[in-house]
Amino acid sequence: MTKTIIELKKADLTLGRDAASVHVLKSMDLSIDEGEAVGIVGPSGSGKSTLLMVLAGLERLDRGEIHIRNTPLHRLGEDALADFRGRNIGIVFQSFHLIANMTALENVAVPLELANVRNPFDIARRELQSVGLGERLSHYPGQLSGGEQQRVAIARALAPSPAVLIADEPTGNLDTETGRQIADLLFSKQQERGMTLVLVTHDISLAARCSRQIRVRSGEIAGDSRNQPAEQAAFA
Amino acid sequence: MTSLRSRLCLAFRLALRELRGGLSGFYIFLACIALGTAAIAAVNSVSRSITDSIASEGRTLLAADVRFELNNREATPQELAYVQSLGDVAISTGLRSMARLPGGADQGLVEVKAVDDIYPLYGTFETNEGGALWPLLARHEDGRYGAVAAPLLLDRLGLKVGDEVLLGNARLAIAATVKSEPDAISEGFGFAPRLIVSREALTASGLMQTGSLVEHVYKVRLKAGSPPAAGIQQDAAQKFPDAGWSIRASDRAAPALSDNVTRFSQFLTLVGLTALIVGGVGVANAVRAFLDSKRTTIATFKCLGAPAFVVVAIYLFQILLIALAGIGIGLVVGALAPMAVAPFLAGFLPISAAPAIYPGPLALAALFGLLTTLAFAILPLGHAREVPATALFREQGFEPTRLPSWPYLLATGIILAALAALVILTAFDRFVAAVFLAAVAFGFVLLRLVAVLVAAIARRSPRVNSPALRLAIGNIHRPGALTSSVVLSLGLGLALLVTLTLIDGNLRRELTGNLPERAPNFFFVDIQGSEVEGFRRIVSQQAPEGKITEVPMLRGRILAFNGQDVTKMDVPPNGRWVLRGDRGITYSEALPENAKLTAGEWWAPDYDGEPLVSFSAEEAGELGLKIGDTVTVNVLGRSLTARIANLRQVEWESLSINFVMVFSPNTFKGAPHAWLATLTDATATPAQEAAILKAVTNAYPTITSVRVKDALEIVDKLVGQLATAIRAAAAVALVASVLVLAGALAAGNRARTHDAVILKTLGATRAMLIRAFSYEYMILGLATAVFALFAGGVSAWYVVSRIMKLPSVFLADVAVTTLVIALVMTVGIGLAGTWRVLGQKAAPVLREL
Ligand SMILES: Nc1ncnc2c1ncn2[C@@H]1O[C@H](COP(=O)(O)OP(=O)(O)OP(=O)(O)O)[C@@H](O)[C@H]1O
Ligand SMILES: [Mg+2]
Repeated sequence: MTKTIIELKKADLTLGRDAASVHVLKSMDLSIDEGEAVGIVGPSGSGKSTLLMVLAGLERLDRGEIHIRNTPLHRLGEDALADFRGRNIGIVFQSFHLIANMTALENVAVPLELANVRNPFDIARRELQSVGLGERLSHYPGQLSGGEQQRVAIARALAPSPAVLIADEPTGNLDTETGRQIADLLFSKQQERGMTLVLVTHDISLAARCSRQIRVRSGEIAGDSRNQPAEQAAFA
Repeated sequence: MTSLRSRLCLAFRLALRELRGGLSGFYIFLACIALGTAAIAAVNSVSRSITDSIASEGRTLLAADVRFELNNREATPQELAYVQSLGDVAISTGLRSMARLPGGADQGLVEVKAVDDIYPLYGTFETNEGGALWPLLARHEDGRYGAVAAPLLLDRLGLKVGDEVLLGNARLAIAATVKSEPDAISEGFGFAPRLIVSREALTASGLMQTGSLVEHVYKVRLKAGSPPAAGIQQDAAQKFPDAGWSIRASDRAAPALSDNVTRFSQFLTLVGLTALIVGGVGVANAVRAFLDSKRTTIATFKCLGAPAFVVVAIYLFQILLIALAGIGIGLVVGALAPMAVAPFLAGFLPISAAPAIYPGPLALAALFGLLTTLAFAILPLGHAREVPATALFREQGFEPTRLPSWPYLLATGIILAALAALVILTAFDRFVAAVFLAAVAFGFVLLRLVAVLVAAIARRSPRVNSPALRLAIGNIHRPGALTSSVVLSLGLGLALLVTLTLIDGNLRRELTGNLPERAPNFFFVDIQGSEVEGFRRIVSQQAPEGKITEVPMLRGRILAFNGQDVTKMDVPPNGRWVLRGDRGITYSEALPENAKLTAGEWWAPDYDGEPLVSFSAEEAGELGLKIGDTVTVNVLGRSLTARIANLRQVEWESLSINFVMVFSPNTFKGAPHAWLATLTDATATPAQEAAILKAVTNAYPTITSVRVKDALEIVDKLVGQLATAIRAAAAVALVASVLVLAGALAAGNRARTHDAVILKTLGATRAMLIRAFSYEYMILGLATAVFALFAGGVSAWYVVSRIMKLPSVFLADVAVTTLVIALVMTVGIGLAGTWRVLGQKAAPVLREL
């Protein structure tokens, strides 16, 4: 019996004001089960990134509800959200978003330090080794290649062992080969830790590797399909 | 050559094009340069306007072309004949005495000036009631003499025009009050209100007795076709080598005042320069931040084939244009300053009210502004030159900073040397200027060390439990940290503030807090030999607990050391006062109680050989005198040469009777002189003091009594006025500091917005971020305060104990205030900026990249 981990009910969001306002999410309902890998696809401007921001508690809904692990995020204050995020959600961005003046190791250790974990640097080191960057611990982001930076970002997202990993076009800034490696890394970590993965991508083959594909079009869910287990195995 | 020119033109055009983007990010740069330049331009323009009017209105200030001054004796018939041969002569006599109410109910110290019918030869004497001076001073039929008094005297004694006061044995009727006395400034600083009488009235008062402290002044309006004043000075000195008169010509009417104004403006210029240098840190920060934001543009220029020097020229032009704008603003403020302050200074300083622009001071300020800008802008430009074209292909991030290439280092070195040379060459006291420069340079080095040290400690600090504190510590030592820019921007300004506050505090403590306890309550001047017994009886009756000290008092001026004319000697500034005008001198059988011999031996009580003198050790050191040297002094028109037998340590600040020179008794055998006495009575109440004053003045109208507390009040007020000017200057430096600090923190905040948003996505709460930032700013503020207290403490100690020769103590309240200011500024300004960072919504920032 699978358990629902993310639940969106009649989520509605308009961004911008006056002439520039866009009705981005239109009364969207969505529920995601624990351990699922969900690929979100859709045309540019359809609201994919916004949906992820909402899932991560970075964007507040105008109306509707969002529950993650039975916590009603729409009711939490900003700081409570931050705290919840730090413990439960890992985020990976298209453009990495590492802190420029911290080394790779420090970047990965930050969420652990914020959560007051006992030995953040040991965990961070292990996490970096597991993404193959054991040799780059004291490099600054500016001294790493794009693929390496994204691996640091993944290690950072994974370090607090979140239940949900959210990724917005994690391979978008990378070449095909590197992109494939990053995708492999994401999926293997997801399997290994039994995390729920929600990723946005323009890459159909990457979306196809997910157990479920959701198609978004102008703020509404236009399609929702699950791979057959056999099919999924073939991709893995 | 043409290609170089055309390239520079291109650079200039590109610079203008880029500037169209607006000045944002440069406002602080602009403000720093404008502020520093304005301070220097204003201080120097005001001082120039004062010294200029001293020079241009010299005749009025002196009320003469040439002024001969004799102390304690009138001119001999030959001397008078000589002076009168030069032109018209106005004779006046000045002395300090007591004005009393007829009933003896009250009395006050006055500065008496007795004039004749042709005073003043230049300028006009104005009374508030109007009318010419001389008729006001005429003798009335009832035997009273007319007198014109300063309004302050009327206030103090509760008099009005028409009332009577007593001066010595003369009865005076106040005929009018003084509005302006043309030559007041050249007559020296008055401790007491002015009282103008006729010479006849002064004679009637009986105050001019042998040995009393009287200035006889002969003011000459030269005949047409006379030789220049300087020639007369020489001629007079040649014809009457022993006259001992001090001669002043209208081209240098008030040399001491001119010197003091110049010296003080020099001091304020150094403070202004500190503001400018602090501003320079802001310039460096702004230039660096600006060039950082231009990395891609620079790289693009390079990709488009622009040689490195063109890129540098583009930004150098922009920086210079902004600096020139700032300098322009500063110069306008500086040029307007004399007109703005003239109404405030006009009361006690000669300052021309006519609007005038002083190009010299303005040019100096502009040069300081320009050199400071260049000194701080060139190194960041050198860094910009190193931006590789490949920067386009890498995410902007941390890059280790290397030293810029040697031409930039060399240029910076040359500009710094030029700046230092300019400071020293334009200084009134070059030694002090050099010390100042060394202190600033040392301050910079020290601040860097403080920053490095704080970062190093942060790096090595053990793991703390609070995540906020951990984040703060990390922020302090990571590359791109605010540590060095915050410490540097706040450190110098704060250190200057500490220095000035400590100097001010020490002066005040010395003048008001400390002194009156051990200082005497009264000085009594002009006690005749015959009055000494009676005087002592009266005082000991009134103050049985008090201690009376009397010493013989003569006046003399130093003519020569070892036979060498002192006017031709090069004397260090600190020792000049000893040679300026008449000094009180005395003789004594025994070493004075409050002195210590530091070298040589005291003479035997019955010594009767070659005249000997004991010199104050410190002044002897400054004048380069040692035991065995001879000193020639002029006393009462006679030249005397004595050999230095010993050196004494004199505690000037004790305010008890002290003399630079104490002679052996045989030196003045038979010479008439008066006595000087002090009364020290720690237990005396103000009522008792008033009673003493009354008793002495009523019994001996010709003895002048000076209450030390009154004199100190006047000094305190004077120091207070100076302190206001100093504080204003310090405030300028502090404002520069705040500007620079705000700039540094704002630049930091741009980077912080991104970091804070990411930290939030990683689970940081706002409270935690605020705590982290507060800790960081607090640590930086604390480190800066510690530096400022140390550096300011050392420089204040140097100024107070080495230059002012006063005991120096560290004042705890200054330390506390400094700490509070440092913390309020760093945490306050820091958080004010961070607040916006925290309010930043995450989504837009994350979308941006
Ligand atoms: N702050 C804002 N104000 C107004 N409109 C906004 C704002 N932020 C986003 N939008 C609009 O909302 C819509 C959804 O944006 P979103 O970034 O979610 O699209 P997306 O599906 O991620 O597109 P892409 O595939 O190009 O990344 C877009 O039309 C965008 O222009
Ligand atoms: Mg998107």
